[in-house]
Formats: sequence, structure tokens, C-alpha cells
Amino acid sequence: MKRIAVRRETQSEIPTASTADIAFLLIIFFMVSTVFSTEQGLKVVLPQAESTERILKRRNVTSIWMDKTGRTTVNDNLVNPAVIASVMAEKVIENPEVVVSLQADQDVSYGYVTDVLEALKDARALKVNFATQQKTGGGG
Amino acid sequence: MALSLRKKRGTGGGPNIPTASMGDIAFLIIIFFMTTSIFARDKGLKIVLPEKGEDTKVPPEMILQVDVNQGGNVLITFTEPVTKAKQVTFIKTIPEVREQVMMRLSQNPQLAISLRVSRGAPYSTMIDVFDQLKLSNAQRISLTPVKGEEGAGGPQ
Repeated sequence: MKRIAVRRETQSEIPTASTADIAFLLIIFFMVSTVFSTEQGLKVVLPQAESTERILKRRNVTSIWMDKTGRTTVNDNLVNPAVIASVMAEKVIENPEVVVSLQADQDVSYGYVTDVLEALKDARALKVNFATQQKTGGGG
Repeated sequence: MALSLRKKRGTGGGPNIPTASMGDIAFLIIIFFMTTSIFARDKGLKIVLPEKGEDTKVPPEMILQVDVNQGGNVLITFTEPVTKAKQVTFIKTIPEVREQVMMRLSQNPQLAISLRVSRGAPYSTMIDVFDQLKLSNAQRISLTPVKGEEGAGGPQ
């Protein structure tokens, strides 16, 4: 008796039915975990510096904005140095590790900056970061 | 008779919405947001301010004084340790600041650098000079207000 070999063709397939679920899960994860910056700030052109460093812990950062006319805002409120001192003192109490990022326009007079620095000293907010852009290319 | 000849169509199931391309669409959305998102990164030049009233007296020969005047001109003053004579250097181009500071630091690594900027000086010049000080690996940098200008109520 002769045996007839039955040829079975097996096709391997990668199941892709759940790809859409995975992708939507990723979208939902990013939508939930993203924190949007609600602070608008002022329109400033930051100065450039070669030794620009990144601030690692963003949650400690509080920004002070200063345009070229010397107008200063904190949390989108127009403030003077006395108000900066009181606002920052509260922030230091909340988080002693607070880092103040001074987003000042490159054309502002240094006098306005020094007033803010004195206010920060009054508030004991001593960690300051002069916001700059990374300077690209050589030359000074 | 005619009825029996008619071919039955369909399997009797409900209408289906094709979902095969759903994954492609979702990944397209992810790629779109990944390429168009701009992440806010806080960058800049760090400094730790001294506490109020924490002024420390440093002998003049241990200080390298870097001054920026209202016109944005830079001047470096160094006091000779032995003769106490002051050496003043006018800076023509900003990169010269780094050369001068590195030269002085190589003679005395304990030198403190006092950056004194006039209230009327452009902020960009202050940042340029401060950047040079950082690039020269100076460890002891302090921002000193110009005497007589403090609390003058706005830039002059």
C-alpha cells in the first residue's frame, strides 16, 4: 500500500490586530502625561552664550520675564522688584530648591536686571539662571 | 422556481467597518505630534547669589576686577600682590576677556573675579563677559553692583 504524503503548507503571520490598540494607548499616555506650559511670558530675544547649560530639574524652575523696555512679569503678571521679592519668597517657602530663570531680552539695560537680582536676594532665592541661547559657530 | 434559482448573497452577518488601517492612522498621528512638538528646555548661565549681609572682605590682590561701563566697554583691573600697583587692561574684543582671566588664573588659581556692570550697560554685554568668565573655568565669580548706582531707580 502506497502512502500518499499530504503536503501541508503553513504560513506564519504576525498578528497585527492589536497594533491600533497599542498606538492609541501610546497617544493616550502622552496626552495624559504631557504638561503644557500655560505661562505666556513676554516677547524676548535671549542673548547667546557658548557656555549655556541645561537645567536638569524643570519642576524647580520659575521664570521671570523681562522685555527690552524693562517690563517684568512673573506668572504673566506685570510686577515691580518689591512684588518680585514677595512672590519669590513664597515660592522659596514652597520649594527651597527653586531655580529662578531670568528670561531677559538682550537689549535691556543691566540696571533692571540688577534690581531683580537684589529682589531675589531679599527673597533668598539664590539660585539664578540667566536664560541664554546656545551660541552656534565661532567668533565673539 | 425563480426564487430558488436566486443565489443567496452574504453570510448573514452585519456590516463591518474596516479597521485594518487603524494602526497606520494612529502611528501617523504619533509621528505627526513627535515631529511638530517643541520641547521647552530651560537653558542658561547659572550663578548662586550670596545671601544679603554675607559680604566677605577679600584683599585687593586676590580680586580680578572686571568692569563694564555704560557704553559696554570692558576693563580688567589687577592688583600686583607685591607692589600693590594696579594693572589696567582695556579689552578690545570680548574673547580677550577669557585670555586675560585665564592668564591671571594660571598665576593665582585662588583669584576671585568680581564682575561689576554699570546699570546703563547692555545686558547682552554682561552676558558676553560672564560667558567668557565661565569659559575660562573661573570658580569664584561674583556680581558686584557699582557703588553710587545702587537703587538709583532705573538705568542711567
